[in-house]
Amino acid sequence: MAKKEFSFNQAVNEIGKILREIESGEMDVDRLSSEVKRASELIRQCQKKLKTTEEEINAIFRDLT
Amino acid sequence: MNKRLSLTELQLIIRDSLYMALPDMYWVIAEISEIKVNYSGHCYLELVEKQPDNVNISARIRGVIWNHQYRFLKPFFENSAGESLREGLKILFRAKIEYHEVYGLSLVINDIDPAFTLGEMALKRQQILKRLEREGVLTMNKDLDFPHVPQRIAVISSSNAAGYSDFITHLRENSYGYVFYTALFDTPMQGSDTQAGIVRSLDRIALHAELFDVVVIIRGGGSQTDLSWFDNYDIAYYITQFPVPVLTGIGHEKDLSVTDIVAWQALKTPTAVADFLIECMVRAEDQLNDMSRGITDMSLLILERNKNLIDSARLKLIPLAKMSVSEFRSELSDIIINMINTGKEYLMNARLAPENQRSRLVSGSASFLSASKNAVNQAKKSLSAGSEIFLSMRKNEIAGFVNMLKILDPDNVLKRGYTITSKNGRIIKSGRELSKDDIIDTRFSDGPVRSKVV
Repeated sequence: MAKKEFSFNQAVNEIGKILREIESGEMDVDRLSSEVKRASELIRQCQKKLKTTEEEINAIFRDLT
Repeated sequence: MNKRLSLTELQLIIRDSLYMALPDMYWVIAEISEIKVNYSGHCYLELVEKQPDNVNISARIRGVIWNHQYRFLKPFFENSAGESLREGLKILFRAKIEYHEVYGLSLVINDIDPAFTLGEMALKRQQILKRLEREGVLTMNKDLDFPHVPQRIAVISSSNAAGYSDFITHLRENSYGYVFYTALFDTPMQGSDTQAGIVRSLDRIALHAELFDVVVIIRGGGSQTDLSWFDNYDIAYYITQFPVPVLTGIGHEKDLSVTDIVAWQALKTPTAVADFLIECMVRAEDQLNDMSRGITDMSLLILERNKNLIDSARLKLIPLAKMSVSEFRSELSDIIINMINTGKEYLMNARLAPENQRSRLVSGSASFLSASKNAVNQAKKSLSAGSEIFLSMRKNEIAGFVNMLKILDPDNVLKRGYTITSKNGRIIKSGRELSKDDIIDTRFSDGPVRSKVV
């Protein structure tokens, strides 16, 4: 598969990193907005992955079996 | 060589000799190499003993279980051993030697000990596990990280197995709306093809291992309880070496097969496997929600903290600003003093400037002054004119008031010929208030007169 896949694990790790950074209090307000935006985009993608069908994967699976 | 026997006579001699030499029942250990049940319900077996290499055969005999025995023995054995009587199974049975002049030698089996087979299977299982442990691979699949989202699933099962459709239905109809992708690798789930089939499917999955989050090996429960197909070294070894976690649901209530033991997680039924996968997704989503909440809460906290910071800065800023204003003021007065001095200096310097410049300055000042004087005079005039008008207006107004007051004054009223009548000091406004001989006082403008009513 040439297409770069969205990795749930990587996304969760990144969200966790942002969360820890915010919790540590080292995040300044200027960066806060962009990091929160990034995290919410990742969360949105993760949610989407759990509940939205990707026809592409279905097609690959059909070919395999 | 003198006496000639018919074949039947010989067979009968053999039979009788055998019966006399071996009159008892014997408990015998053997492996079933073939088994079939004919139309009338009799069970025919081929029993063998293998050499230690497990390939070559050192002994073989036919066996039979008559239908009236088989009817009871079969369910008894299957219930106790959890295995059906099948080829490859080692059994301990009680048999009588039978010799038939047409069919020859066979063993008539009238009892089988399931405990022996159970022990055998346990032993075999132990041997396989020990070997895997010796090779250091036993827990390799368990040591893999299980994916957060086990969404892409390679299924090793039989397409017509009830367990397979249960599994698919259960996944599809999960109440959370999670999406799962499944690819079935159709594989026989029992019989002697099981091992080769599962290994072949695992090979095919391994070619695309990056496409899958998890492999599940499932089959329905029901009467298919033959677990020993999964007590297999090859299957187990493949699983331990597999790069993707393997889950099993091969439907056995009591025991775990070797396949179950080496798998990442063993579950009892295909439905339980589906539940497990759904549960993983729930956990993933919960984690996501927790982090999301955490980010929101912490961000709000940071914003609040910064807002407080700004507020307290502002409170400090006001006195600071006042201070700096007063500083600025004193600075300003310094500047004014400087300016005045500079102005004086300038004037002194100007005095030294050429005459014409000076006269220009003087005449300029003079014309400015006369213009100013005119403007002031003008303003004065218009001011006094305005004042006069205003004052005369007020004067007239006041005169009006004075006249009004004069008219209303009683003295002025009396002067105009009116009088005021009173009796005992009380003013009389009506003639009816008086009667004959009343003494009344009449006040004129120049004095009172007392008189008597007649």
